[in-house]
Amino acid sequence: MVTLAALGTYLPPWGSARGRVVGPDEDALTLGVAAARAALSAAGRTSPAGPPAAEAAAATGVRRVVFVTRELPLLVGSNAAALLAGIGLAADIAVVEQVGGAPAVLDALADASPGTLIVAADAPDSGEPAGAAAALVTAADTAGTAGGVGVELVGRVVRSLPVHSQAAGEAAVRDYSDTRLERERGLGVAVERLSLTEKPVVVAGVAPKQAATLCAGAPPALPTLGASSALFAIAALRDVGSSGVVLAAEQASATAVRLDGVPGAVRRDEPAPLAPEKATRTAGPDIAVSLSAYERAFDAKLRWEAGRCDACGTLALPPRRRCLSCGSEAGWTLAPLPRTGEVYSAVTVRVPVPGLPTPYSLAIVELDGGVDVRALVKVTGVKAGTTRIGDRGRMVLRRVAVRSGVPDYGYALFPDGSAVAAAEPTTTDTLEGVAR
Amino acid sequence: MRRVAVVGAGMTAFGEHFGLGIKDLLPMAVSEMAAHVDKGLDRADIQAAWFGELTTTDGFPSGILADTCGLLDIPVTRVENACATGNDAVRNATFAVASGAFDVVLVVGADKVRESSARATFWEWAGLTRDMAWDYPLGLVAPANFALHVARYLHESPATREHLAMVAVKNHRHALPNPKAQLRYEITVEQALNAPVVVEPFGLYDCTPQSDGAAALLLVAEDVADRYTDRPVWVRGVGLGLDRVMHQHKRDMTTFPPTVKAAKASYAMAGLGPADIDVAEVHDCFTGVELISYEDLGFAERFGAYKLIEDGTTAVGGSKPVNPSGGLKAKGHPPGATGVAQCVELFEQLRGEAANQIDGARTGLAHNIGGPTAVSAVTILSADRG
Repeated sequence: MVTLAALGTYLPPWGSARGRVVGPDEDALTLGVAAARAALSAAGRTSPAGPPAAEAAAATGVRRVVFVTRELPLLVGSNAAALLAGIGLAADIAVVEQVGGAPAVLDALADASPGTLIVAADAPDSGEPAGAAAALVTAADTAGTAGGVGVELVGRVVRSLPVHSQAAGEAAVRDYSDTRLERERGLGVAVERLSLTEKPVVVAGVAPKQAATLCAGAPPALPTLGASSALFAIAALRDVGSSGVVLAAEQASATAVRLDGVPGAVRRDEPAPLAPEKATRTAGPDIAVSLSAYERAFDAKLRWEAGRCDACGTLALPPRRRCLSCGSEAGWTLAPLPRTGEVYSAVTVRVPVPGLPTPYSLAIVELDGGVDVRALVKVTGVKAGTTRIGDRGRMVLRRVAVRSGVPDYGYALFPDGSAVAAAEPTTTDTLEGVAR
Repeated sequence: MRRVAVVGAGMTAFGEHFGLGIKDLLPMAVSEMAAHVDKGLDRADIQAAWFGELTTTDGFPSGILADTCGLLDIPVTRVENACATGNDAVRNATFAVASGAFDVVLVVGADKVRESSARATFWEWAGLTRDMAWDYPLGLVAPANFALHVARYLHESPATREHLAMVAVKNHRHALPNPKAQLRYEITVEQALNAPVVVEPFGLYDCTPQSDGAAALLLVAEDVADRYTDRPVWVRGVGLGLDRVMHQHKRDMTTFPPTVKAAKASYAMAGLGPADIDVAEVHDCFTGVELISYEDLGFAERFGAYKLIEDGTTAVGGSKPVNPSGGLKAKGHPPGATGVAQCVELFEQLRGEAANQIDGARTGLAHNIGGPTAVSAVTILSADRG
């Protein structure tokens, strides 16, 4: 039995009620980071708007991160450092990068040791829906996890029926196109072999109609079908209002777990969907990368931290040797930056730019908290050209560009507005005591 | 310091010179300058040269200038100071003559922008001007750098997009008689406002074209000026100003502090002020930049620039004509050549020989801003020795 302390979910703002798609500046890693931050904030471990204070970051109690997705951004060259930096976790935490779907996530959850953060992300380019969810596992008696629920493994069946397949090196998923075979000899046999003594409350990884045939009541619709769907299923127990068995299936394999209660600490970062923008893509040369510059900037850029002058305390973004204010060159220390701010100036690039989807908006954002720091960033999550001087928003991790094959992560402004209002947790989504 | 005179000026036409390389454009500009020295120029008189080129094309700039212009026996120094390169080359050469080190020097500015594919150009130029880790991947195309300023300027001042369009209309009209200009056709305010948007708030007609070209000046000491002409134009003031390079560190984006600093230095050296300027060549790479510069150069009160374009003050025929050559907007903008070519225009204006002549012009000002927006150079020339 493991204790699930908190859940966080994230849906990209593009798509429709039928399913979300990733924007041009998102990938499985940025999706996973958003979900993980939501989970830690549901657990009261970080404040979603403010900087994670150093103590708060240590207080996450996270000792291990398991990142499950079938769309790892890098196969060679680690995703782990970017994941830890984006979530706001220390760089000495072990990260498991795992290729897997919904059953793999329940497997990881059922076997997790206390202090494990499971991050599941789906960013398929096959047209299947995108989203991410994360779960924090703690020791049963951890203070402040009153909303924690027990999770135990009910059963697991591992079989092969690759009606959808993608071999290493292949660009796309192949579809064998036999839904009856998949239903009867895949999911059907898997469920049969699990010999469940009670019907599941929610089923992840299968189409809603199929899920309905397996469940006791009407199961809640889930926004994704891949790895993250397993955690969306657990989060959905709140909507159903009942604990019980959660089943996750993928082709011919399945894992079932039982929850002994309804998860209390759930934070959903799920902005209302917007129709995806029509972007112009212009072929061009690779966007150059200097890995020396990349390495020097990495921590400040991915952790959203400034250099604080050791002599006078002035913050500089990016960090710099000579202080902007007092001129000291004695040194600087990284310090977290506020994650909200107001637009000082904004423009929209409409001319096609080689290698970048256009149009896009750029903004200079004056950060909150009287820190006297401005950031020059891209705008994300809203139609290009809709951001005005004086608009407010929050800073979120995005893939700013892919440079010579290397994902270049940094922060973008996600403007407040109707779409973002939905991202704020409703009262029913928020556990008492969750940091706001 | 000794007085310094301009006694010769010449330039190539600005345009997309696909058929001409930098090794063609440089000798063309220098020879045209030499041919227009009133009493003739023996090239052997030239003791040193300063060459403003922003990018390098076909090899290292100083060597190419010396080699292609028959100047192998003199020192040649390349000057690079972003889009302020041209007027900074003038500034360096001025000091060399004023100091007494040389009597006769050459200033050349050139750039060959249309030398790589349109697709490659954007990232090449972004690499010249932006922080590799923090800014480069954002896709800050050149107009975006200036648009961030102008968007804020339009927000805080009474100026509107219509005023930007009026700048474009004026400078296109000014270019009509200029045989060296790249865009010699008139446009209307409506055309400018309805043109495809490049980077809001700039439409196509708010932006300078991409240009190739070269320009040259001959600077000499007062003692020897009469060997070359009886009608010299005097370099009265030069100035250069800088600012923080990252936009996020510029506190007030409705003004360009480098221009204020460069103008202050140049006016002080000349012993002149904005009211003394009869004609100005102002850096209008994007229309809104010309408006902001009216204020930074002291031609207009803060946030009052729109009045000057509204009432025709800065048109030829007005009391403070700006960019009679067509400006960067319509004459063209090969960055290294731009500032030098502004001085070529002023040389002709102050001698009463310009294609779009301002009646009675005695004193002129040339202005560059670049970097983007982190460096400015201002040169004041006058028919009066001072």
